[in-house]
Amino acid sequence: MNRISAFAKRNFKELLRDPLSYIFCLGFPIIMLIVMTLVNESIPAEAGMTIFRIDNLAGGIAVFGQTFTMLFTALTISKDRSGAFLVRMYASPMKSGDFIAGYIFPMMLISIIQCVVTYTAGLVIALITGVELNIGGLLLSLICLVPSSVMFIGLGLLFGTLFNEKAAPGFCSLVISLGSFLGGIWFDAESTGGVMLKICKVLPFWYCTKTARSSTALKFGNDEFVIPLVITAVCAAAVTVIASLAFRSKMKADLS
Amino acid sequence: MYSVEVKNLTKKYKNKTAVDSISFTVKSRELFALLGVNGAGKTTTIRMLSCLSAPTDGFAAVNGHNCIKNSDDVKKEISISPQETSVAENLTVRENLRFIAEVYGFSKEKIKLRTDKMINLFNMHDIADSRAKTLSGGWKRKLSIAMALISEPKVLFLDEPTLGLDVLARRELWTAIESLKGKITIILTTHYMEEAEKLSDTIAVMVGGKIAAMGTLAELEKISGQTGLENAFVAIAERSADK
Repeated sequence: MNRISAFAKRNFKELLRDPLSYIFCLGFPIIMLIVMTLVNESIPAEAGMTIFRIDNLAGGIAVFGQTFTMLFTALTISKDRSGAFLVRMYASPMKSGDFIAGYIFPMMLISIIQCVVTYTAGLVIALITGVELNIGGLLLSLICLVPSSVMFIGLGLLFGTLFNEKAAPGFCSLVISLGSFLGGIWFDAESTGGVMLKICKVLPFWYCTKTARSSTALKFGNDEFVIPLVITAVCAAAVTVIASLAFRSKMKADLS
Repeated sequence: MYSVEVKNLTKKYKNKTAVDSISFTVKSRELFALLGVNGAGKTTTIRMLSCLSAPTDGFAAVNGHNCIKNSDDVKKEISISPQETSVAENLTVRENLRFIAEVYGFSKEKIKLRTDKMINLFNMHDIADSRAKTLSGGWKRKLSIAMALISEPKVLFLDEPTLGLDVLARRELWTAIESLKGKITIILTTHYMEEAEKLSDTIAVMVGGKIAAMGTLAELEKISGQTGLENAFVAIAERSADK
């Protein structure tokens, strides 16, 4: 436990002292929240388009913000692997499980802080625009977003393990773009229907957004909350197991 | 008992033999240097001794613990300062030291004590609260060695500790390494003759993955029939290449 806590503390400090973390993990989601609210204000009410209204937008942007934790996890791991830092740590009593937990825990904390900041900004916007946003729903959503947070961090662990510090951000950017689009953050997939909805439903991102939106709205039906939450949790577990196996295997290969 | 025992240690990569059946022993608290040109197999040797690379063949033990079968026990007794920068760049000098002490499970009191001791030993008072990424190459190397020492290792591996440093930084680091002589076992790799001559008790000359000659400076001079380490090294390396 000492080893995990020491390594997690080091990773947390490294992230907190990197200005890019603030720009991408906190600044960018808030900017998107403001920009999309302005877009929403420009859409005529008769269009009946509510995707960018703050009660829908807050959950979606919270998931969007989580995708950046994937990028920072991948960057941290790929940077550690490219230098001699991990060589030193491999020669210490640290085990592969210590490394994995030490990378995941601080990113989860960052992810929670990020959601709190996003929802606080969402509440301010809701007050300004006169849209009702349930505080209880937002608090509940913080818990319901844990599986998606784990999933994105797991993807970061996987990309950081498999790719170098030049390639890993590229793969993450691809997932951020595709994930936010096919997750239905920027368009109403259900109203669009057809092939687009089918593609969205094949990928886990849509379920992450659905869980976030339903929990903030305190809607707990099977189709809108329970099933998306279970699918997200299963995907999170699968991604984390795959990423952990990849890390262990890479560590073993490095030490052979 | 020897601190390090190596018998017929071999490391092969596909078509290349990086370390070719080397054998040597290192006495407790001795400073043992592996001297050789780039690609001689020095780093591969200490990687195998510090459980960072599995030997293809042969035997290696540190303080009686088998490096292959008991790597967990070996890791508790050793530390390594790798050739490249291996510090947490966004952490301060003090935080880097504390971090390693925490990884080794020291108590809060001991962490403070050891951190202060390392800062004193390497005269790092003025930079103790500076982030590692702002340090010069020389200070980073000192920090890297301090991080290796903070865990109270019985055997310390220093891989090319002064590589790329200017003359002044190199001399300062030599003084720091000299201050450790006789306290712990140190295995150092270098391709600087002056460094091996100044610091080592025993020098092993590595050529093409093999140990071509081993002994004190006087013994190497006798073996080669030359005066001075550089002349002795060249003669031994040329003789070894002719074989």
